[in-house]
Amino acid sequence: MADLPELNPVVHGRLRLALLSLLSGVEAAEFTWLRAKTEATDGNLGAQLLKLEEAGYVAVEKKFVLRKPKTLYRITETGRQALTEYVQALRQLLGPSIDK
Amino acid sequence: MHDHATDQELRDRLSLIENMIAEGRRHTESWGWTFVLWGVVYYLALAWSAWGHSVWAWPVTVLLAVIVTVVIASLKAGNHPRTTLGRAMGSIWIALGISMFLLFLALGASGRLTDQHVFVAVMSAILGMAHGASSLILRWKVQFACAIVWWVATVATCYGTEAQSMIVFLVAIFLGQIVFGIYGVIAEAQQRKRRGPIHG
Repeated sequence: MADLPELNPVVHGRLRLALLSLLSGVEAAEFTWLRAKTEATDGNLGAQLLKLEEAGYVAVEKKFVLRKPKTLYRITETGRQALTEYVQALRQLLGPSIDK
Repeated sequence: MHDHATDQELRDRLSLIENMIAEGRRHTESWGWTFVLWGVVYYLALAWSAWGHSVWAWPVTVLLAVIVTVVIASLKAGNHPRTTLGRAMGSIWIALGISMFLLFLALGASGRLTDQHVFVAVMSAILGMAHGASSLILRWKVQFACAIVWWVATVATCYGTEAQSMIVFLVAIFLGQIVFGIYGVIAEAQQRKRRGPIHG
């Protein structure tokens, strides 16, 4: 019997997983858009994004547009790879019960 | 970690990933209005150049339309994220706009834009190319029908009189820009209505 894979704890957090999944579908997203989609609080969202940034899964870009500060987040190649591996691990863990 | 996570929890995670990816890719842009706007712009420029006999009709109308388009698009964009698909679509139409503006400005300034048949044929061919490329990327049959309208106009305008060529152009603008644009606006509104509120 093959060893069951471990789930990446950084990716496994519900909000962090939602954020990585959201970012995987876009080129870059603003903090406010991520907040609207996840309905998370500013503090929690900021903390989870920081964890993803520290893990190298998201990159942050801060800039000013028409004198207004904008914080853009984008998924990195490492982050995309981690998400792909996480999905593969989930599928392997669920096995045949995945379609139930 | 699996020891603590139930199958239900794992399935919930998988479902969360699928929902969030779909949410991120959700086409939030609405572009139907631009086709209506530019259809009206073509009519205005044609009317001005026909009755006003001004060489400035097209450049001035098009420049004003570009400004209006950029301003409205910026206001509508809000904090929506950029997507690769959105950038691909935008690139096609921006490149079309620059090409048409430079081509017709240079032809007009050099005095070589004398044959109306050629003007309509070239404009129709470029619009057919843009609609065709966009419809193939989006796999949107209605827009492909729009491209066919412009391609038919490209060929049809090469035959017949100047008046017939102008009628072909006016009909193509109506079907390929205004009717298509209104259809796009309605389709986008229905799509938004079906989606309902977004939950994290």
